[in-house]
Amino acid sequence: MKLATKRKTITMAVAFFAIAVLLVELYPIVITLLNGFRTDLVILSGQKFSLKQLTTTSYALVFKNRLLMKAMGNSIIVGIFSTALSVGVGAMAAYGISRFRFRGRNALAYSFLVFRMLPQMSLVVALYLMFRSIGLRDTIFGITLAHSSFNVPYVIWMLIPFFTAVDKSYEEAAMVDGCSRWKLFHMVFLPLVAPGLVVAAVFSFINSWNEFLYALILTGVNARTAPVAISSLIGGDTLTWGQMCAASTVMLMPVFVFTLAMQKFLIRGIAAGGVKG
Amino acid sequence: MKGAGGHGSPVPFLLPALLIVFAVLIFPIIFSFVVSLFDWPLSAGGGSRRFIGASNYVDLVKDKEFWNSLKLQLGFIFIAIPLELVLGLAAALLLNREFQGGRVIRALILLPVFFLPVVSGMTWRFMLQPRYGALNNFLLALGAPEITWLGDPTFAYAAIIIQDIWRMWPFVFMLLYAGLAGISTDILEAAEIDGAHFSKRLFSIILPLLYPTILTALLLRIIDALRIFSEVYVMTEGGPGMATTLFSLYTHRQAFGYMKVGMASAMAIFLLVISIVFAVTLVRKNMSLEKLEERGGDR
Repeated sequence: MKLATKRKTITMAVAFFAIAVLLVELYPIVITLLNGFRTDLVILSGQKFSLKQLTTTSYALVFKNRLLMKAMGNSIIVGIFSTALSVGVGAMAAYGISRFRFRGRNALAYSFLVFRMLPQMSLVVALYLMFRSIGLRDTIFGITLAHSSFNVPYVIWMLIPFFTAVDKSYEEAAMVDGCSRWKLFHMVFLPLVAPGLVVAAVFSFINSWNEFLYALILTGVNARTAPVAISSLIGGDTLTWGQMCAASTVMLMPVFVFTLAMQKFLIRGIAAGGVKG
Repeated sequence: MKGAGGHGSPVPFLLPALLIVFAVLIFPIIFSFVVSLFDWPLSAGGGSRRFIGASNYVDLVKDKEFWNSLKLQLGFIFIAIPLELVLGLAAALLLNREFQGGRVIRALILLPVFFLPVVSGMTWRFMLQPRYGALNNFLLALGAPEITWLGDPTFAYAAIIIQDIWRMWPFVFMLLYAGLAGISTDILEAAEIDGAHFSKRLFSIILPLLYPTILTALLLRIIDALRIFSEVYVMTEGGPGMATTLFSLYTHRQAFGYMKVGMASAMAIFLLVISIVFAVTLVRKNMSLEKLEERGGDR
C-alpha cells in the first residue's frame, strides 16, 4: 500500500514538473502566435496583453504584402520541386544500394550520409560563384538544385531501411516472370515502400521550407523564399513585429501539423537531420 | 544475404543521384578549395583574382577575428551541448513512465524543435528588446532597471546559447527517451527490487546501456552546432561588435561583407574538414549500413 502511495506522489510530482517545463518551452511559441493577432503599434508601445487587442490587421497586411506572398509562393514551389526531385532520384539510389551487391557499396552509402551532414556555409560561397557564372543565381531552378544538396542524401538515408525490409520472394517471383530490374523497381518496390516515400517526402519538404542560408545568398527579388522574406520584416528601422509573427505563424502551421501527425516517424526523421537551419 | 539480386547493374539507379551530388556537393567542395588558393574578390570591381597559394590559410592563422570566431564557436558548443544533454537526460528519466496526458506532454515538449530556426531567432530577439520585450517587462515589474540585452556583448552571447538550449534540448530528450524505451523494463525493475539506490542504478545500469544513444545525440548536436547560422544571424547579426560572430557568421562576413571570397573559402574548407571528422565518426560508430538494414522492419 505504502509503495503505491509513494509511486502516486512521484507521478504527481513528475506531472507538475512536466507542466512547468512545458510552460517555459511553449512560452515563446505562444507569444509568437498571439503577437500575430496584435498590431505592430500595440506591440511596440509595450502595452500589457489584453483580449481587446486581438485583431487580424497584421494578417491582412501580410496577405496584402506582394513581396511576401511571392516569397511564400516560391517556398511552396521550391519545396514541391525539390521534394519531387529528391524523392524520385533518392528512391532509385536507395533501391540501387539496398538491392544490389557491388564493390564500394558501403563506401557509397557512408558518403551519402556524410554529405548530409556538411555545413551549408562550406558550400554556399562556391555555389554562389558557380550559380552567378552560369546564370542560376536568383532562379527557382537554382535554389531547388541547392536544396537537393541536402534532400537527396537525406531521402536515400531514410529509404534504405524501407527497401531492405522488402522480402526477397517478391523479387524472385517477379524475376522468374522475366521482369526487368526497372519494372521490378516501379511495379513491385515502389508500391511496397509507399509509406517510406510519404515520410521522406514530408521531411524533405520541411527541410526545404525551413532553409535560410542558401535562400539568403543564392536568391534575390525573383526566387526569394519565405524565411528570408520574413526575416526582412525585422531589422534596421522596420520593426513590424506583428506582421513578422503573423507571417511566421503561417509558415509554422504546416510544419506543426505534419510533425504532430507523424509522431511515429519523428525519431528517424530527425536523427537523419530532419531539422535544418 | 538479403537483396542479392544477382543480375542487372545498379548503375542506372545510382547515376541520377550521383550526378546531383557531384553538381551540388563534390564540385563546390573542389571549387572552394581552388578558390581558397586565390586572392579572389567578390565582384570585378574589387580588383583581379590572383593565385597566392596557401596565403589565405596563413592569413587566417594570423587573423585575430578568426580566432575570436573559433573561440566563440567552441564556447557555444561546450556550454550549450552539455546542458542540453543533462536536461534531455533528466527529462527522459522523469517522463519515462505512464501518466495521464504523458503522450500529449511529450509531443508538446518537442514543438520547439520544429520551430523554424529563423522564427526562433526573431522571437528571442523580440523577447529581449528593451521597453516592450517580455523579459524587460517582467524585470521592470520587479523594479529592476531596463537592460538592452542584445546590446551587451556578454548578455548577447548568453542569449544565443540560451536560445539554442531552449530549442534543442527537447531533441536530445526525444532521442534519449526512445533509447530508454529500448532498455528492458525488467532490468530496471530488477535493480529497483534489489534496492539499488537511484544514483547507483543510474551510473551502473542506465547510463552504460544508454551510452550508444547518448553518443549519437552528442555527435548529432555537435555536427548541427558547427553549422549554426540562421538563428544567430537574425537574432544579433553577429553583434554587438563581434560578440556573437560564430564561425559561419564570420565566414559570411568575409565573403559578403569584406568581399574576400578566397579567405571565406579557406574558412569554408577549415569548417568542412572538422565537420567531416565528426560526421565520419558518427556514421562509422552508429549508422553503419548493417545497422540501417537490421532496422528494416520496425523503424
